[in-house]
Amino acid sequence: MKKVLVFILAFTMFVIMSAIGSAQSPVTITHWYWADNPKYSATMQDMAADFNATNGKNIMVVAEEYPWDGGAYSETLFRVVMGGGGPDTSSAKLTSTPLFTANGLLANLDEYIADWKDKDKIEDSLYNTMKGASGTDSIYLMPWTTQVLYVYYRPSMFKEAGVLVPKTYNEFLEACKKLTRDTNGDGVTDVYGFGMRGAKGGHEPWGSFIWARGGNFTDFTSAGAVAGMQDFMDIFKNGYVPPTATMDGFQEIIANFKSGKTAMTVHHIGSSVGMIETFGDDVDAFPFPGDVGQWTSMGDTENVMLESCENKEAAFEWLSYLATGKGQETWCTVTGNVPVSKTVQQFPVFQDSKFMKISIEGAPFAGIYPILDTTTEWISTIWPNTVAAALLGQITADDAMKQLQTGLYGK
Amino acid sequence: MQRKKINLWPYLLISPALIIILTVVFIPAVNAILMSFQSYDLRRPMNIGFVGFDTYIAVFKDQLFWQSLWKTFQWVVFGVGFQFIFGFGLALLLNKKFIGRGIARSISLIPWVTPGVLIGLMWRWIYDGNYGVLNDILLKIGLIHEKIPFLAQQATAFPAVIVTIIWQGIPFFALMLLAGLQGIPGELYDAADVDGANGFQKLFKITIPSLKNIIFITTMLRIIWVANSVDIIFNLTEGGPAYSTQTLSVYVFNKGNSLNLGYAATMSIMLTLGLLLIAILYLKNLFKNQEE
Amino acid sequence: MKKEKFRLSRVLPIYIPLAVYLIFLLFPFYWTFVTSIKPENELYSSIVTYWPNKATFASYKKLFVNFNFLKPMINSLLVAVVTTIVSLTVSLLAAYAFSRYRFKGRKALMTMFLTNNMFPTVLLLIPLYAIMRNIGILYTPMALVLSYTTFTIPFSIWLLNGYLNDLPMSLEEAAMIDGASRTQAFLKIIFPILLPCIVATGAYIFMTSWNEYIFAVMFTNEGSRTIPVALKNLIGQLGVEWGMLTAGGIITIIPVCIMFFFAQKRLTEGLTAGAVKG
Repeated sequence: MKKVLVFILAFTMFVIMSAIGSAQSPVTITHWYWADNPKYSATMQDMAADFNATNGKNIMVVAEEYPWDGGAYSETLFRVVMGGGGPDTSSAKLTSTPLFTANGLLANLDEYIADWKDKDKIEDSLYNTMKGASGTDSIYLMPWTTQVLYVYYRPSMFKEAGVLVPKTYNEFLEACKKLTRDTNGDGVTDVYGFGMRGAKGGHEPWGSFIWARGGNFTDFTSAGAVAGMQDFMDIFKNGYVPPTATMDGFQEIIANFKSGKTAMTVHHIGSSVGMIETFGDDVDAFPFPGDVGQWTSMGDTENVMLESCENKEAAFEWLSYLATGKGQETWCTVTGNVPVSKTVQQFPVFQDSKFMKISIEGAPFAGIYPILDTTTEWISTIWPNTVAAALLGQITADDAMKQLQTGLYGK
Repeated sequence: MQRKKINLWPYLLISPALIIILTVVFIPAVNAILMSFQSYDLRRPMNIGFVGFDTYIAVFKDQLFWQSLWKTFQWVVFGVGFQFIFGFGLALLLNKKFIGRGIARSISLIPWVTPGVLIGLMWRWIYDGNYGVLNDILLKIGLIHEKIPFLAQQATAFPAVIVTIIWQGIPFFALMLLAGLQGIPGELYDAADVDGANGFQKLFKITIPSLKNIIFITTMLRIIWVANSVDIIFNLTEGGPAYSTQTLSVYVFNKGNSLNLGYAATMSIMLTLGLLLIAILYLKNLFKNQEE
Repeated sequence: MKKEKFRLSRVLPIYIPLAVYLIFLLFPFYWTFVTSIKPENELYSSIVTYWPNKATFASYKKLFVNFNFLKPMINSLLVAVVTTIVSLTVSLLAAYAFSRYRFKGRKALMTMFLTNNMFPTVLLLIPLYAIMRNIGILYTPMALVLSYTTFTIPFSIWLLNGYLNDLPMSLEEAAMIDGASRTQAFLKIIFPILLPCIVATGAYIFMTSWNEYIFAVMFTNEGSRTIPVALKNLIGQLGVEWGMLTAGGIITIIPVCIMFFFAQKRLTEGLTAGAVKG
C-alpha cells in the first residue's frame, strides 16, 4: 500500500512540476525577415527585443535576417520549408503566395483574426486583397505595410522648362518631351524627362501606361493596352528616357533622379527620406495621371505564419504586434512606409508628410497585378526581357503584348 | 608496370571519395533525373505525375532553349578560349625569375579570389551607361563619341559579359599552368639551347607537349565549369536584355527558381548530355595519351 | 645561386607585358576601392573622378561597428580550410590510384566523377536540405563542408591525376628498385615534386569554398553565415549599400592575398627536389 502511495505522490509531483516547468520555459518564435539596409535590420532586432520584454506571455521572438537577393528570399524560404525546416513566421510578398498555398505551407489565420481585438483597425479592402492572393476565401497573410507608387518630380526643372504638374496622361507624355533638354549646348542630351525602369520591377510603373489608355491586366492584347505599350516604347525611341532604361532597376532610376539626370521618376514613399535629404524642397510628387483609366501600383509587405509552426497562438501575438501594435508604429516611422493600421495612420508623423498625403491620394486607384502561380516568373524574367526586346525594336508592341499575355495566362 | 592479380589497393584509395559523393549527391541526382520525366512543377503540386517524354518534347520545341544552347556554345568557346590563351601567357611570365615575382604571383590571383556577387557589381558599375568609368576612358581616348549603354543593348551585352568571365578565369589558368611548368626539367631547355632553338620552338616543342595532360584537363574542367556557371551572368544582367545573355545554365537557373523543377531538370539533363559528349571526346584522347 | 643582373633588355620583355596584365586584372579593384570612399554625390555626378575629391572612410567603420563582419570572415575561413584539407586528402588518394594503377572499372569511375560536376546545383537544393536536416548537421559548418566536397573532390581528382600523369613513373620505380616501399617512394620522391600541384589544387578548392553562395544561403543561419551571404545582405530591396559592399569585398580579399603570398613560395620548390636522370 505504501508503495502505491509513494508512486501516486511522485506522479502528482511530476505532473505539477511539468506544468510549472512548461509554464516557466519561454515559447520561442523564430521569425525570418529581410532588411533593406543595416538601419532597418537594427530596427527589427530592437522591435523583437521590445516585444520580448513587454509581451507578458513569456514569448521569445528570435529574428533572423536573410538576403533579399532580388526576390530570391521567397524561394529560399520555400525551399527550406519544403525541406522540413524553416521559421515560425516570416516577412513575405503577396506575389509569392500561390507557391506557398499550393503546397499547404501557410497557416490559416481566419480564426485568429476573428478573435482579434484589433481586427477593425485594418481596412476591409486589405483583407480582401489578402484573400484574393491566396485564391480562397481565407486569410493566409497578415498585412504589414503598403506603399503606393507616385511620380517624383523636380519643381525647379519644371519651372525652367515651363511645365506644369500634369493632370492628365497626355500632359504627362508632353512633359516627358519638354523636360528632355540639352543644358550645356554640346548637342548631347543632359536631362531626360522620365526615368524609365526596364529591369525587374518595372512592370509596376508600366502598368499605369496600360490602364491610362483603357487597357487592363485581364487582357494585355486589347487595343487600349497595346496603345499604352506603344506610348511606352515611343518615349524610349524618342530619347525622352535614358538609353540605359532597358536594364535600369531601382538603384539606377533613383541614382539618375538624384543626380539630376532625369526630371521625373516613379517610386514610393520608402525612398522619400533619401529624396528630402538630397533635395530639400526641390522635390515633390504627383499621383500618376490617367485618361480613359487610371491605375498605380500598390506595393506591399506582409507577414505570414507557417503551418509548421508549433505555437500558433504565440506567433499570432507577434504578428499582431507588427501589424497594429507598437511594432507597426516603430517600423513605419523608421522606414516611412504607409501603415496598415488606421490608428497609426493618424499619428502626426504620418499625417504631416507630404509624400504620405500623395500616397493616400493615389490609394483609390491603387491596385496589384493578378496573383497567379505564373506571376513570379512573369515578373522576374518574362516581363523584363519581352519589354526590353520591344524597346530595342526587336518586336512590335502587338507581339510583345501577345507574349506577355501568354506568359501570364498560358496558351 | 602492370599487376595482373586483383589488387585491392586502388579500390581502397578511391573509397573515401566515392562514399562522400554517393551519399550526398547520388540520391538527389537520381531524383532530378526522375523529375525530368514528371510534370514536376512545385507551383502546381496537384499536377505532379509521370509524363514520360512530354517535357523533353516541349523543351525541343522551345525556341528559347535552342537560343540559350547557342549562347552557351559561344560563351564557352570565347570565354574559355581566351582565358586559356591569356592565362598561359601569364603563367609563362610568372615562371621567369624577376624581382617582385612573389608579389606579382599573389596579386594576379585576386580576380579569382573575389566572390561572384562582388565581381558582378564591380563590372556592372564599370560598364554603367551613365556614370561608368569604361565609357569615360573610351570617350577621353576618343574611341567613341557618346556613351554606350553596354549592358542595356543586345549587341554589347554579351561581349561585355564574356570579357568579365575571361577576366575572372585568367588567374585560374595562370596558377594551374604555372604549377605544371614547375614539373618540366630544366635540362630539356638547356639541351634545346645547345641545339640553337629559339623561344617559339621551345614553347611549341617542349613546353606545350610536356603540359599536354594538364592542358587537356584544365580546359575540360573549365569548359564544364563555365558552361554551368550562373553567378557572373546573373549578377551582371540576369540573362537580359531580351535574353541576349541567357545561356542554358542561366535559363535552367531561372526556371528552377520559378520552381518549375521538371522543366529545369529536363533541360539540365540535356546540357549534361551535351557536356558528356564533349568530355567523351576529350577522354578518348586522354586515355590514348596515357597508354603511350 | 646566381644573382640576376638588372639588365634592361632582359627586364623589359617581362615587366611590360606583366604590367599590362596586372593593370587589366587589378583596375576593377582600384576602381571599386575608389568607389567605396567617394561620397554619394560624387559617385553619381556626370564627371568621373579617378580619385575622390573628398575621401570618406565611413563605410569601413560602419562595416565593423554596425555590421559585425568579423563573424562571417571567421566562418568562411573555417569552412574553406576544412573543405580544403578533407578534399585534398581524399582526392590525392583517389588520384594516385587512378594514375598509378590499372584496374577494372577505372575508366568508368573516372567518368562518373566527371559527370558529377555537370549537374546544376539548383536542382539538388531541396533534397540536399532534407538530407542535411536528417543527418542533423544543418546550420553548422559541416553542412557546407559536406556540400562543397561533393564538387571539389571530382575536380581535384582530375587535376591531381593530370599532374601525376605528367610525372613519369620512372621516378618511383627507381626508388622501389632501390628497396623502398610504395608509400616511402610516394612520400620521399613524388610528394615533394607534386607539392606545387597540391598547392595549386588546394588553392582552387579554397577559392571555390570561399566564394560559394547558393548552398551557403540555404544551409547557414546568422551564426554560421559565410562572407558571400553576408555581402548579399547589403543589397536590399531599396538598393545597394555601395560603400559597405565594396569595403567588405576589399577586406575579404586582403587576408587571402597575404595567405597566397606565403603559399606561392611552395610553387617553385618542386624544381629543387631532385631530378632523375634518364
